[in-house]
Amino acid sequence: MTFLSPWRLARLTVRPSEAGEHLAAATPEAHDVILRLVLPLSVVPPALAWIGGATFGWRLGGGEPLYIPAGGLALISLAYFVALVTGFVSTALVASWMAGTYGARREFGAHLAFVALVGMPAILASVAHLAPHAFVNMLLLIPALIWCLYLLYRCLPAALGTTPEQGILMASSVVAYVLVAFVSLLGITVVLWSGGIGPSLGV
Amino acid sequence: MNAVDLHRRLERHSGLLIFGILFVSAIGGLVQVLPSVLDDRLATPGPDVKPYGPVELTGRDIYIRESCGTCHSQQVRPLLAEVRRYGAFSRADEFAFDRPFLWGSKRTGPDLHRIGGRYSDVWHRLHLLDPRAVVPDSIMPAYPWLGERAADAEGDIQAKMRALRLLGHPYTDADIEAAPAALEGLTEVDALVAYLQGLGTSTGGDTR
Amino acid sequence: MPAGERYHDRVAGWLTGFAVLWSLLGMTAGVYIAAELVWPTIDFGQEWLSYGRLRNLHTNAVIFGFGVSALMATAFYSVQRTCHVPLFAPGLAWFVALAWQATLLAGGASLLAGWTGGKEYAELEWPIDIAIAVVWVCFAVVFFGTIARRRIQAIYVSNWFYGALIIVIAMLHIVNSLAIPVTWSKSYSLFAGAQDAIVQWWYGHNAVGFLLTGGFLGMLYYFLPKHADRPIWSYRLSIVAFWAFTYSYIWAGPHHLHYNAVPEWVQSLGMIMSLVLLAPSWATMVNGVMTVAGAWEKLRTDVALKFIVLSLAFYGLATFEGPMMSIKSVNVVSHFTDWTVGHVHSGALGWNALITFGTFYFLVPRLVGAELHSTRLANWHFWLALAGVMLYVLAMWGAGVSQGLLWLSLDEIGELSFSFKDIMASMAPYYALRLVAGVVFLSGAVLMAINLWMTVKGRVIVRVAPPAVAESAA
Repeated sequence: MTFLSPWRLARLTVRPSEAGEHLAAATPEAHDVILRLVLPLSVVPPALAWIGGATFGWRLGGGEPLYIPAGGLALISLAYFVALVTGFVSTALVASWMAGTYGARREFGAHLAFVALVGMPAILASVAHLAPHAFVNMLLLIPALIWCLYLLYRCLPAALGTTPEQGILMASSVVAYVLVAFVSLLGITVVLWSGGIGPSLGV
Repeated sequence: MNAVDLHRRLERHSGLLIFGILFVSAIGGLVQVLPSVLDDRLATPGPDVKPYGPVELTGRDIYIRESCGTCHSQQVRPLLAEVRRYGAFSRADEFAFDRPFLWGSKRTGPDLHRIGGRYSDVWHRLHLLDPRAVVPDSIMPAYPWLGERAADAEGDIQAKMRALRLLGHPYTDADIEAAPAALEGLTEVDALVAYLQGLGTSTGGDTR
Repeated sequence: MPAGERYHDRVAGWLTGFAVLWSLLGMTAGVYIAAELVWPTIDFGQEWLSYGRLRNLHTNAVIFGFGVSALMATAFYSVQRTCHVPLFAPGLAWFVALAWQATLLAGGASLLAGWTGGKEYAELEWPIDIAIAVVWVCFAVVFFGTIARRRIQAIYVSNWFYGALIIVIAMLHIVNSLAIPVTWSKSYSLFAGAQDAIVQWWYGHNAVGFLLTGGFLGMLYYFLPKHADRPIWSYRLSIVAFWAFTYSYIWAGPHHLHYNAVPEWVQSLGMIMSLVLLAPSWATMVNGVMTVAGAWEKLRTDVALKFIVLSLAFYGLATFEGPMMSIKSVNVVSHFTDWTVGHVHSGALGWNALITFGTFYFLVPRLVGAELHSTRLANWHFWLALAGVMLYVLAMWGAGVSQGLLWLSLDEIGELSFSFKDIMASMAPYYALRLVAGVVFLSGAVLMAINLWMTVKGRVIVRVAPPAVAESAA
């Protein structure tokens, strides 16, 4: 499949109609998508976060930069990688589980490819992690997330074979799932950290 | 009659439905809230917890009027980091005379329960009249009008203390008589500073 | 049945208009205080513009002005149609509508003057509290009076939720507002300290539960089937969900008091029941989603339906996040932070505002028997609303989680890693983003106000007769 490479997929993020057509015409195997798209894409943000954190240190406000010890940084990056892979795969699983309700195609591989496309802008914007400052990250990631949402609503009908109206409904359900998954991630992170797994907290 | 049948009866009879809603929604309050309201241990002041004097009471009411509790909490939680940052954690017996309670639900600014005695009166006055004079990055609003108004401008301190006495605060007649004199010559910022300086200074014992 | 009988819809129309005005006022106040957290000197030394005063105006205007007016409007509109009978005591209904506005205007002015009882979402002082109680009793009389005269035997599910709104809010308001008055502008709460805290959050959480959740579920259960032109997906589910909801929500209050000076058993009970609450909340969401899923073709022609669909997504988020934040080990980090603020607004903007906007886009054209003035404007509004609420929530998640973790952070020798001041200063970009979010969301609402005004301009409320059906044994 032509789009099963991170570079081609990145180009497609700025050509939504082409992206929709490519995905509609393809029936990728799930393992192909995971090996050639999901895993490589999920490596990028954690790697950049590791480099930025180790080289420049995290900055909060006007204080001194904070250097998390190398072991801690590696652990955070590993957890970040796992979270991203889980995010991609679980979103595709939920989407294919919902497919029947919205008249969409059911192939798991197609859903994985679509989710990879939708997440691509955020992956690209994670270059902001090289500058570990909250403000810079927000400046780049927020517009990227807006683009992700745009791709979700714009390309879903073509990519997954629904009518435009079913597409809006399904996209909204995917948004609901992603929000719930993200907030769960916040909750789990917080529980782990306050339980002692992570930087020390005085609870 | 199973549950669905019971419901079908309720939905055909508005009186039963109203009663059903009231009954079901009252249970939680009866189990959780009522025992707490009747539990004297939650209302008994600690050994050295006193009702607010006229100046502190005036200051507290200014704190309420300006909604300081919107940004500042008064509740140090029993967590290691919190106790390190603010001092001893807050106990129920310290709040017996707090009407209403001012524990807050947001810390845009720091917790204030143990602020008493931490900063000088001068610091507090400067800070309240213009926060950025002492904390350049502060986003707290300035309260210049507090320095311009008399503490007893409303003239209602005796009425307030009488109302609180009705609610069980142990004020004597002498206390109430002397109240206006205590406020004479003071501005609102003086009263507020007095309130802040008294916060959390009781050491108290264990009332459990 | 009298030949000339018509539904009394003018009062619902006026209440809708008032609701729109309150939404603009309340959200403008919200945007202003968000700006004050970025530029603290824009109160220009004026008391009534000060953050503390404006914040109270904001919360009261959006909840009691916008929220309640919208609930009254939709309750009056829908109760007639679900009972096939015009409003009981229409004169009293007008009194309710107008007296509510007058009460809130007086209340809003009093809040700016600093007349506050100091308890969240119950700031209004005792004279206004009494006025609220009087108007509320009249609201109950009109609503339940209409139901008592119904021509359809079974009371439809939306009316159970509106009914619960009326009954439970009355109970909560009366108990939590108990106080000894001192002057017209000042009273002291009957309860003190820890006891006051427990009563306040029994009230506060259930104001959210029965006003912001339950009442708007009433709106959902009536208007969604109308939009979709299909019945609710599962009647049985709606029964179970309603009673489980009404029972369990009440217990959840103490999750506002984790690690505070209240008994351990109260906190734990609050936490457990908050988790239990997830089930009936999501049951309703599923009911809504499945109802719409079967009617997707409607989205082609019904711009309002998009708002309802999105509101269900945020309802799902907020009712998941709430129980999650009620878990003590999450709460230890989230309490007192902006995460709570983010949670509030995902519900208030994502659920309450969006479903109300969708309902108004549906209702207003029907009230005047015309088409919505501009579908394009409404579509713009949809995207602005989505962008606004997403930005808001992301900003507050960022701020809240970092605040919470940094406040608790200790270094290798057990000392605090960061000063409060430094953590506070690092919030600035999040607060700036939140301000942008608010402006975006408000601008969408302004478009709606214009659109609805153009729809009703020069028109009158259409007079509709109840159907000539015999009493059915549905």
